[in-house]
Amino acid sequence: MEQEFHYAPFRIEAGKIREFALALGLRNPVYFNKEAALDAGYPDIPAPPTYTTVIDFWNERDFYQLFAVWGLDPNDILHGEQSFDYEKDMISGDIISATAVLTGRFDKKDKRFYLIETTYRNQDHEVIRIGRATLIERREQHGAEIAGHPKTSSRAD
Amino acid sequence: MAQKLPDIQKQALAPIDMVRYSGASGDFNEIHTVPKVARSKGFKEPIVHGMFLMGWASDAIDEWFPGRKLSKFTVRFIGMAHAGEAFVIEGMLTTDTAGELQIKDGAGIGKLVGSFELEELPV
Repeated sequence: MEQEFHYAPFRIEAGKIREFALALGLRNPVYFNKEAALDAGYPDIPAPPTYTTVIDFWNERDFYQLFAVWGLDPNDILHGEQSFDYEKDMISGDIISATAVLTGRFDKKDKRFYLIETTYRNQDHEVIRIGRATLIERREQHGAEIAGHPKTSSRAD
Repeated sequence: MAQKLPDIQKQALAPIDMVRYSGASGDFNEIHTVPKVARSKGFKEPIVHGMFLMGWASDAIDEWFPGRKLSKFTVRFIGMAHAGEAFVIEGMLTTDTAGELQIKDGAGIGKLVGSFELEELPV
């Protein structure tokens, strides 16, 4: 299994931010209006806190390719946990390069856990965000059991 | 100095909202949009993307702390969420710059729990 996956460089664009913010129902005007962004101290429209999903999935080398390289079926993968460290703003016009590293893999009962750390750097090679995901592969068909027990500690994303 | 933050009510999603988020995010995992696939994976119906809920949580933090930026944000997805259910986002400030939140359905069943830290304000 490849331990590292390099996403293609990805441009942050205001129109895509707007679409993403509308789909989520975000209400902060900085995501829609450049004047509001400037008033808030940004040089241009900023990307929202969970925008790295767009970088991962709308990429020329996307998350599905990562799944394929690592031998995973996306429909069997549940998102257990997600965290972000925010180091610097991500601003429209930035070109983001991201590298995902498999930092852990272990089995618990009938589930396999994958820990993935993704580091996002801007065009100046500054680290701007670090994402840490726990993905859960259901080794057998246990969705019904999970769905019927809301207190189960893992769930689908 | 724990301080309760105002509850934020979220209206029920329609299935098309999950289609829209799939398109916007690029996450086209079919368990979120295609009932047949969701059922084949053991779910009673399509489930809301976890990152949709995390996006809502980020919007709640924006509402509670206008103009403040996040420095850390961590969530755990603890329950399946579906279209047609209304949700409430509850939050608690635990220090000057850190807090916890959760998203629950109308029956009080948790879907997401999380914690966040805000950037210090410039001196």
